[in-house]
Amino acid sequence: MDGRALLDLAVGGIAVGGWFLAYLLARVVTRPASPRPEPATPDLGPESPAVVSLVVNRWALTEDAAESTLLDLAARRFIELRQPGAEPAQTTVHLPPAAPDESGLRPYERHVLSRVRGLTVGGVVPLSALTFRDQAQAKRWEKRLRAEVVAEARAAGLSQRRFGPAVIGTLVTLAALASVVTGTAAFHYGVWSGSEDNAGVATGIFTFMVLAAIAGISPGERDTPLGRQVAARWLGVRDWLHGHEQFAELPPASVVVWDRYLAYGAAVGATHLASTILDLGMGNRELVWSSYGGTWHRVRVRYPRLWSRYGRTTSKLLWRALLAAAAGLALLAFAPRGLDSLPEIDLLDDAVLAVGVLLLLTGTYKLARTIIDLATERTITGEVLWLEVWDTASQGEDRPSRPVTHYLAVDDGTDDRTTAWALPSEWESRCHDGDTVTIRVRPWSRRVVELTIVGHGRSRDLAEAPTGDIAAPATPRFLPTTDEVARALGRPIRDGDRVPLGGALYLSADRGKALLLVQALGGTPGRWAWRANSRGQALPGIGDGAFASGDRAALRVGETTVVFTLMGEARDRQAYLPWLAAQCATRMASGPS
Amino acid sequence: MSGGVVLGVVGGLLCLLAVIVIGWALVAYNRLIRQRNQVQASWAQIDVQLKRRYDLIPNLVETVKGYAAHERGTLDAVVAARNSAIAASSDPRVGDRAAAENMLTQTLGRLFALAEAYPDLKANQNFAALQSELANTEDKIAYARQFYNSAVQTYNTSVQSLPTNVVAGIGGFRAQDFFEAGGGERGPVQVRF
Repeated sequence: MDGRALLDLAVGGIAVGGWFLAYLLARVVTRPASPRPEPATPDLGPESPAVVSLVVNRWALTEDAAESTLLDLAARRFIELRQPGAEPAQTTVHLPPAAPDESGLRPYERHVLSRVRGLTVGGVVPLSALTFRDQAQAKRWEKRLRAEVVAEARAAGLSQRRFGPAVIGTLVTLAALASVVTGTAAFHYGVWSGSEDNAGVATGIFTFMVLAAIAGISPGERDTPLGRQVAARWLGVRDWLHGHEQFAELPPASVVVWDRYLAYGAAVGATHLASTILDLGMGNRELVWSSYGGTWHRVRVRYPRLWSRYGRTTSKLLWRALLAAAAGLALLAFAPRGLDSLPEIDLLDDAVLAVGVLLLLTGTYKLARTIIDLATERTITGEVLWLEVWDTASQGEDRPSRPVTHYLAVDDGTDDRTTAWALPSEWESRCHDGDTVTIRVRPWSRRVVELTIVGHGRSRDLAEAPTGDIAAPATPRFLPTTDEVARALGRPIRDGDRVPLGGALYLSADRGKALLLVQALGGTPGRWAWRANSRGQALPGIGDGAFASGDRAALRVGETTVVFTLMGEARDRQAYLPWLAAQCATRMASGPS
Repeated sequence: MSGGVVLGVVGGLLCLLAVIVIGWALVAYNRLIRQRNQVQASWAQIDVQLKRRYDLIPNLVETVKGYAAHERGTLDAVVAARNSAIAASSDPRVGDRAAAENMLTQTLGRLFALAEAYPDLKANQNFAALQSELANTEDKIAYARQFYNSAVQTYNTSVQSLPTNVVAGIGGFRAQDFFEAGGGERGPVQVRF
């Protein structure tokens, strides 16, 4: 390599490396403290168990926060935990006939309480049925809980952002410096190498965007002086509880005797058995609680992975059966004669004949089973226990694969074991776990050929809106609804997927292809977006200003800019962009996002 | 194999066994020490709360006297129970002390029941504050007793079970008494499953 190229590369590398050193230094300097525990004491403080969990775990919120909050609600008689036998795992949660006044409950306590209440059937839910069946929902729920607990801790002066404005400002300034140096080095390289397209500016901008984005990622929370004092006191409580060996083995139902001590014990990590049994995270997909029929029972679900027939369409099954039979016949008809030239190799001849017979039998069997499968379709009504992607199809190198088939586990109340059905993915958005559905199925291929929603389940009401994420902005509520987009684009649409920086991507319901991207931007990015897109045909009377140009439209209301971009097959629906913009503008004008 | 080698192997095994036994005994001894210290620390927590209760009672009695001076019998019973409890506090036997404390709890209960008949006394802010403080102290005593009894149970289990009881016997560890609740607190527990 040329010496000048090496020099340019070294200058750029040193600039970026220097920035990462500064970032590392910032992380080291702002790392949460490890307070020294005060002497062991049983005296509890005024902080809630969730906040205690945050400060004793070095300002990182663990699953203990939700679990200790649940125990605390039990200690305060908002719920009751009952253990019907010797096995603590059989503990059930009951709603008391007369709950105490809830006005003093904190947001995250309401959050946990509403989840329990939402899942009860006849006022009862097994403790182990409080888990989630949807990974995305579990994450949203956890993020919202975290945001609420952190907000309270910050308000009480016990916690603060690990990277404050000063640190972020310094890192962004250093990122700007590093990007100027990198850009200059790239520019220099472009000049002396005689490149037609000098990439200096682009390199500088790219470097700045990447480094600034890294600086902007929240590394979590850290201590405050008051937080350290409080943590030290609670670490003393933890030591006290650790000193009592029996405490670690108390079951959740013992909260009736130990009251809030058990909740705080869970918060500081002094309970073992109770924490093992309590779980508010993702549930086990193979052993799922069902309340279908009015009583709680566990259903063991099997998810076939290697069945070649599983979820296949009739045409595909027939094609495979015929192909196998034809191949078998071909071998039987032609191979023995073709092998006559090798009479000494009897073994090979026999093997080919055997394979031919096997293929013919397999093909015939599959053909018969497929026909029987078609003739024996049946209808099942039951509760959706689990729904997840099974099979996907590639859409090319640059695009994510799209789901083709989903596992659909349904409990019809007849057996405590079931095998998941194969649901075509275009119907996936219609049902939700906990819903009561009627499905027409083919028993051999396990394929669902018709889906009807009979009733919505409780978990729909508990579904977390994609909000509460403190790292990423929430999806604004004024964005077009799925129905509006479907009307504008003239085809069924799946629920809008959230995109970074606040917006949604709308996909076609059948093939999952991107059709419309809507981005809502405020502040400086919003102003830039407005500058870049306020061209083309003016759309009077929509918001504070709106323009449409080709497959793109932009809308401005107050400080917010909304940009609509048609994609793929939807590019021919440009005439409907003004209508979509008008719908958003009306909502933006009528209320907060 | 020569006799010397056999003797050496046996001797080595015996030494290894001795090291294991001594190591286990040290671990068991330290565990007993830790458990006994936990019992003592738990007892200290009860002691703090009981002393807090002794300190509150004279003020309570004086306040009640101002409204119900003729309820002399109940007031005297409270004072006598307090004095007995203080006298018992120097008694190392937990059972005797628990009995004295339970007596004090019962007489205090009678005093508060008596206050129900005197609306002016109930309206007195000082009395209300003392009542609240005593209730809070009673709660703390209850939790401290739970912790103490839990620590005693763990300790007694170690002291009485094989083979730790051998180390306990050599080390002078003795089983401790539980701090048992008074009659009122030992009523039938309603369990709903």
